[in-house]
Amino acid sequence: MDELVLTERNTLFKAEAKDWVEGVRIAGEMLVKQGCAKPEYVDNIVKAIQKYGPYIVIAEGIAIPHTRPEEGALETGCALVTLKTPVYFEGDSSPVKVLISFSAVDNDKHIDLLRTLVEFIEQGMIDEIAKVSDYEEFLQLRKSNIKMNQM
Amino acid sequence: MKILTVCGAGLGSSFACQMSIEAVLRELGIEAILDHTDISSVSGMTADIIVSAKNFETQFERYNIKCPTVFLNRLVDKNEIKEKLVPVLKELGAM
Repeated sequence: MDELVLTERNTLFKAEAKDWVEGVRIAGEMLVKQGCAKPEYVDNIVKAIQKYGPYIVIAEGIAIPHTRPEEGALETGCALVTLKTPVYFEGDSSPVKVLISFSAVDNDKHIDLLRTLVEFIEQGMIDEIAKVSDYEEFLQLRKSNIKMNQM
Repeated sequence: MKILTVCGAGLGSSFACQMSIEAVLRELGIEAILDHTDISSVSGMTADIIVSAKNFETQFERYNIKCPTVFLNRLVDKNEIKEKLVPVLKELGAM
């Protein structure tokens, strides 16, 4: 599953975002750039969060911007964005520095990504990822963690 | 025993939550069938327990859900899942 691998192309470290909308947009635009989603997918992610609330903040410090396949997804894909300064989602007190956006075209192609994500969270890796300042450092962190090598 | 996790899109947050619940249930030695869905489809589905995010609580009040519901602040937090799910499992006689 090449499209779910985090490479230099779909990772961005210490980006600047003034609020959660901008953070989500940066992470969403990276799906568009990879050809995995239409621009409207990004708007629809923002709308879904505004409509339902911050349920994409699935654990401390991490949000997973995504929405339904029919909202503009073209292929299964993902992107990792970390923020220089944290953003806060409406109705949530947790500062978010790590965003992993994804697009899905069916109900199970993205399962490996989610599984890896859940493992990151359960192993307390989110803070470590937030500290990384470039792709080289990210690779080193991956090397130091077997679970991360699978991503 | 069927446990249904629910979020906005029904494929990301709820799926991740399902994985965490599966891990918790494995630890507890409880067998259950798990599935995930989106908030707009939930009223047509049946389950013994529904697990969702706190921000959906008011929306659930509008639905006529008959089974016990559990609302989490963090969908992928095994401790919170354990803390809130165990009493419901006991109530249903699953443990």
